Amino acid sequence: MQSKKATSMIILAVSPLVILLTILLSIHYGAKPIDAGTIYQAFSAFDEGNVDHQIVMHSRLPRVLGALMIGAFLAISGALMQGMTRNYLASPSIMGVSDGSVFAVTLCMVFLPSATSVTMITMSLIGSALAVAMVLAFSRLLPNGLTPVGMAVIGTITGTFLSSISAAISTYFQVSQNVSFWYNARLHLLEPELVKLAVPFAIVGIVIALLLSKSITILSLGDEVSRGLGQRTVMVKVLATAAVVILTGISVALAGKIAFVGLIIPHITRFLVGLDYRWIIPCAGLLGGIFLGLSDVLSRFMNSPFETPIGVVTAFIGVPFFLYLIYKRGGGKHA
Amino acid sequence: MPNRKGKFRLLFFVNIALTLLAIYISLTNGAFDMTVLDVIRTLLRIDPVAEYDLVIFDFRLPRIVIAALVGFGLGVAGTVIQGITRNGLADPGILGINAGAGAAIVAFMFFFGGQFMDASWYSIMAMPLFGLTGGLLAAGLIYLFAWRNGALDPQRLILVGIAIGSGLGAVALYLSLKMNPNDFEMAAVWLTGSIWSANWTHIAGMLPWLVILIPVLMRKVHILDLLQLSEESVKNLGVPVEKERNILLLSSIGIVSACVSVSGGIGFVGLMAPHIAKRLTGIQHRYVLPLSGTIGMLMVVAADFIAKTVFTPIELPVGIVISIIGVPYFFYLLSRRKK
Repeated sequence: MQSKKATSMIILAVSPLVILLTILLSIHYGAKPIDAGTIYQAFSAFDEGNVDHQIVMHSRLPRVLGALMIGAFLAISGALMQGMTRNYLASPSIMGVSDGSVFAVTLCMVFLPSATSVTMITMSLIGSALAVAMVLAFSRLLPNGLTPVGMAVIGTITGTFLSSISAAISTYFQVSQNVSFWYNARLHLLEPELVKLAVPFAIVGIVIALLLSKSITILSLGDEVSRGLGQRTVMVKVLATAAVVILTGISVALAGKIAFVGLIIPHITRFLVGLDYRWIIPCAGLLGGIFLGLSDVLSRFMNSPFETPIGVVTAFIGVPFFLYLIYKRGGGKHA
Repeated sequence: MPNRKGKFRLLFFVNIALTLLAIYISLTNGAFDMTVLDVIRTLLRIDPVAEYDLVIFDFRLPRIVIAALVGFGLGVAGTVIQGITRNGLADPGILGINAGAGAAIVAFMFFFGGQFMDASWYSIMAMPLFGLTGGLLAAGLIYLFAWRNGALDPQRLILVGIAIGSGLGAVALYLSLKMNPNDFEMAAVWLTGSIWSANWTHIAGMLPWLVILIPVLMRKVHILDLLQLSEESVKNLGVPVEKERNILLLSSIGIVSACVSVSGGIGFVGLMAPHIAKRLTGIQHRYVLPLSGTIGMLMVVAADFIAKTVFTPIELPVGIVISIIGVPYFFYLLSRRKK
């Protein structure tokens, strides 16, 4: 098992610093730059009457924390999916998982207009689970469905279907505007309350992912090997899918569809730390968080003073990478 | 084969008849109901009533004509693209050609926002050209990434299409967000595939493309038949494969771009129509091509009627209606593929 332990250690050690830097950058830059002194004061001696302090604590801080969390969740989901299915294209957005969440959230907005945030998060989770179930079922049933290409096509098409139905429902019930928040992934509208609510779910998802990491490494060698080594393959897959559903579901509930993070970060992580998922999963989480945090900062510069949806930024970075993967791997079979 | 020809003719006319029926329903129904007699009188200019004229000539008819033209164009272009790539799942939408044309047109609206608003002849005639540029760009990227060892890798083709589609979609979204609110609304509605402001000028803008390019394709049907054979044998027959393929591809991208410039990215028509046509009439492109066009026409006219009436008073983008119907069909096609 090749693994680059040293690189992993470096990533784990340096990340906290980079994350801190990302947080500071993200709090500093915006429609109104806030200097370091004021940021320090906002944390050390918070003054309710000071507008800058208010901005720091109630808008910019939740936003950057949200970005870091969502990036981590999506990257971990992607890593789990790629390891589990041995499919180098597996990732939350390509597999239509996010569209499932959007679908459920749309239904929720229409039929439970007074739903609390907890209900919304739960619905989003149910939606992700629905989409995963659909994609996996179709992949099994259809010829060539389990190849990377097959699964990517099935995922994309399932996603198109779910998002078309969501669009039809939201147009009919005239909630398009509310729903478009979920679609367009506007981190700047992130609700601090929602971020807090997401934490317990996130802990469950991440703990499952970390506990499974060793089994995922074995699974990534193939089902045969895995069974030969006495692993309960089905059990591991079910749990890993559950973690994917939880992590993707809350990401969409927080900020909508953000594509490509879950696809590219696991690849970069594997390139850096090797094939051992005990390292890949935590490192992917850290790198994903940093990636999305910095993309979010970038999104404020692209069209300032207006916000650019973060999905646009990740697409600009992700699409060339995606093309590169296809070019290198083509229709190849395994991760 | 006189038999096949007869069957084809029958199918062709049945389709036209069904489309006319759909057009009739679409013309008479809506927020303002009209009787058959009213419609016929208005069309034939017998005692014209100003109100009816307005509803028929300014609202309903242009929209129906656009739906029919777009459907025909997409059906034909889809057949050609499936024929060139020898991939039954290829469709201008799935391959990202719609997105390419769309991104270019949004760019056009972005840079010439003001002129676009007055819907002048100049801008409407220029839009398909911009679409063509974008469509060609998308096709160029597809070739670049899906071309391996002198052939289009069918596996890679679709993946590259998905990637290009989402990338160019992001470009379009980015540009549309930088627009002023009026243009943005148009761009947004239009990007989902909607016949939003049908008028006769738009029809005049897209019609030349169809009138010129569809006969070009019709003359090449035998080449499409040959392209279904292996690359080697076609070359041995002395067919300049590359040249013919480029002409076919360019023409179909031209048609798709003209369609996208008036109706946005409507997916799945180019996927479904050729399959249905092939099932009905066999594999000869001489028959498949026109039949696929009429099937596409029927689909879009019917879907547009559904889109504008089912949820009244709210209108659905026609692209959404088509994808809700198209996706199950796509899965059906996938399930019939060999292992």
